[in-house]
Amino acid sequence: MPLVEVRNLVKRYTPDGPNAVDDVSFDIHAGEMFSLLGPNGAGKTTAISMISTLLSPTSGAVTVDGHNTQKSPMDVRRVIGVVPQELALYDDMTARENLQFWGEMRGMGGAELKREIVEKLALTDLTDRAKDRVGTFSGGMKRRLNLAVGLLGNPKLMMLDEPTVAIDPQSRRYILDWVKKMSQGGVTVLYTTHYMEEAQELSDRIGIIDHGKLIALGTLDELTQSVGQHETLVLTLTQEGGGADLAAALETHTDILQAGADNGEVVLNVTSAEASLASVIATASGLGLSVRTIEIREPNLETVFLHLTGRALRD
Amino acid sequence: MRKLWVLSLKEILLTVRDVGVLVMMLATPLAITLVMAAAFGTGGDDAPLESIPVLLLNQDVGVMGKTLVDIFYSDAVGDLVTPELVTDEAAARARVDEDDVAALVIIPADFSARVFPMGALAQQIAGVDVTKVTSDTVLTPEQQIKMGMAFLQSQNLENADPVVVEVYASPDWRISSAVVKSIVSQGLEILNIQIAGTNAIIARLAEAPTQSEASSDNFAQMAGAFQMQAGGNAQTADLPINLHITSSTGRRFSWLGYYASAMAVTFLMFAVTSGGRTLLLERRLGTLPRLLITPTPALTILLGKMGGVILSGVLQLCVLWGATSVIGAYWGAPLSVLLAILVIVPCASGVGAIISAWAKSPGQASAIGAAVTLIGSALGGGFVVRWSLPLWVQYASLVTPVGWSIEILGRLQAGQSLVRVLPWLGGALALTAVFYGIALVGFRRQFE
Repeated sequence: MPLVEVRNLVKRYTPDGPNAVDDVSFDIHAGEMFSLLGPNGAGKTTAISMISTLLSPTSGAVTVDGHNTQKSPMDVRRVIGVVPQELALYDDMTARENLQFWGEMRGMGGAELKREIVEKLALTDLTDRAKDRVGTFSGGMKRRLNLAVGLLGNPKLMMLDEPTVAIDPQSRRYILDWVKKMSQGGVTVLYTTHYMEEAQELSDRIGIIDHGKLIALGTLDELTQSVGQHETLVLTLTQEGGGADLAAALETHTDILQAGADNGEVVLNVTSAEASLASVIATASGLGLSVRTIEIREPNLETVFLHLTGRALRD
Repeated sequence: MRKLWVLSLKEILLTVRDVGVLVMMLATPLAITLVMAAAFGTGGDDAPLESIPVLLLNQDVGVMGKTLVDIFYSDAVGDLVTPELVTDEAAARARVDEDDVAALVIIPADFSARVFPMGALAQQIAGVDVTKVTSDTVLTPEQQIKMGMAFLQSQNLENADPVVVEVYASPDWRISSAVVKSIVSQGLEILNIQIAGTNAIIARLAEAPTQSEASSDNFAQMAGAFQMQAGGNAQTADLPINLHITSSTGRRFSWLGYYASAMAVTFLMFAVTSGGRTLLLERRLGTLPRLLITPTPALTILLGKMGGVILSGVLQLCVLWGATSVIGAYWGAPLSVLLAILVIVPCASGVGAIISAWAKSPGQASAIGAAVTLIGSALGGGFVVRWSLPLWVQYASLVTPVGWSIEILGRLQAGQSLVRVLPWLGGALALTAVFYGIALVGFRRQFE
């Protein structure tokens, strides 16, 4: 039996508004590392908020460890740990006081909580700063403490909502390694991100979400195979603003499956990069555009997203 | 229960660690109280007053009592007071107790006889009406001798205990009753001067040459003694009258005490509305959503939050109470004040709860909180003495916690017993229930 069962989940914030989450269904098995990948505004945070009982679904159901999120929210909350996107910490309290407070809110106390606080401080390399107010911490240190708070009580299901947003590469690496370690330790993880590389690196299975809909679900291999043995050709032009014209012109080529332009780059989904390259350059020249760089990418989640939506993931 | 306590303690911890909040909660009201006390001292109010209802109970059979009564009907104080002559002391005191009038002035039955015994004795022994004596009056030698005898007898009476004019004042009409006391004091001084003047005239009459040139040594001695006494009175204006100011509680108005509590209540409002704002701030910062996904009921989180705000408020008022008491402010009987604080703070926090339940952002909550506090304080007597405000303003202010708080604390400062203040405490509790009821509707909407 899956640890998390999401069935036909819908969330609409206003009666006449669009569905922020639109008929999403998936399972997460115990010990699995599952990522929800999608651009900003795709509905990842709304989905995780419903799974964590923060939001009520408009329709559909979520079960965590056998407990329905709407019927038994307290039972669900006892088995989950959440690391929100925001740094949900009290700046005027020390790291230790924050852990103490959040631990007590999880129903912990006494020697058990003291032991956990020491353990989590050590785990996040914050033992030396335990008595310092969080307001004096760097962004990376705050992120680590944010993570430590989510881990208090060693929950069965950890949900991390874009935990690497707006932090330095070193802290990002630290968090990714930690999540991997956690997953290897048998903890079930639900991870949301808009970074394709993170989802690729961490996940056992990935759900791709866009405009509230789950558009693809599977392992990395399953997803890349679903778009065939295609490659991605990424061009940068010397001229600004010519990308859209080039993409439009290339869409008519039979060997080019999809073409899009974004941030000065032209992204092409092709059956064979090598075979298509000459005609692409010729088309660019014909439009008076010159190609500055060419990059050939193996099939990846970006390819999958482009294939499924016609847009780059960062659009 | 444990979580409720942890949540409340967290609120207090965050409050005491914020220097800006501490300045707002403690330093500012204390500083303003000191400034107010320095500016106004402990005197009366110069706010315009008129038609102060005052009862006059003149039990005096002589003329002096009437003279005092006439002062209240004189043009000089005509607009200031609305006097009413009464005869039933118990009924009159009851009217003061019921706050129907500002004060009752009681002139005792032996007022004239004891204030100016010479007058009655002169009439009785010498057949002379001293109220009609002028500097042109000429006494017969026999009258002069009898006047001397009357004077000697009056000495023993004047040395007896001074006569007491009682002003029975309502503690709820602090400023108005202070005005009445002032009028009585001035009236007594006028009487003082009149008595001294009359004594001087009588002394001159006593030493004037007799028509028969038959003055005796006895008379000379008597006249000399009379002259000395009369002259002495004229110089020192010693009047054997005491103004005895009483009230049902025995306390008097104090600027320091008033502003100590008024400022404390005003800044309590700032603190609790700011405390309510933090709920919105926590929502924005993400700590509230994080709290809501811990195994803690939303109601516990809400109660813990408001519990923290209330505990901080109680601490704030207690610190201000202690600090201003050190510099001489009187807040009332300690247990009563403590109980009042325990009622006032939740009432004030109800406003904070409403704002945090219905405001859309921390900025909006701050603006509304400041506006509500300032308007409530202006209406309730935070800036101007509450009892000098028009009655309709005083009543209107009872929609705000400031009005109730200043009313309650003012009554305790006036020395009223807890029993008498209980109805007011009950009113504040009822208002608290209303506030939290409104807030609950908003919170339910928010949390759903």
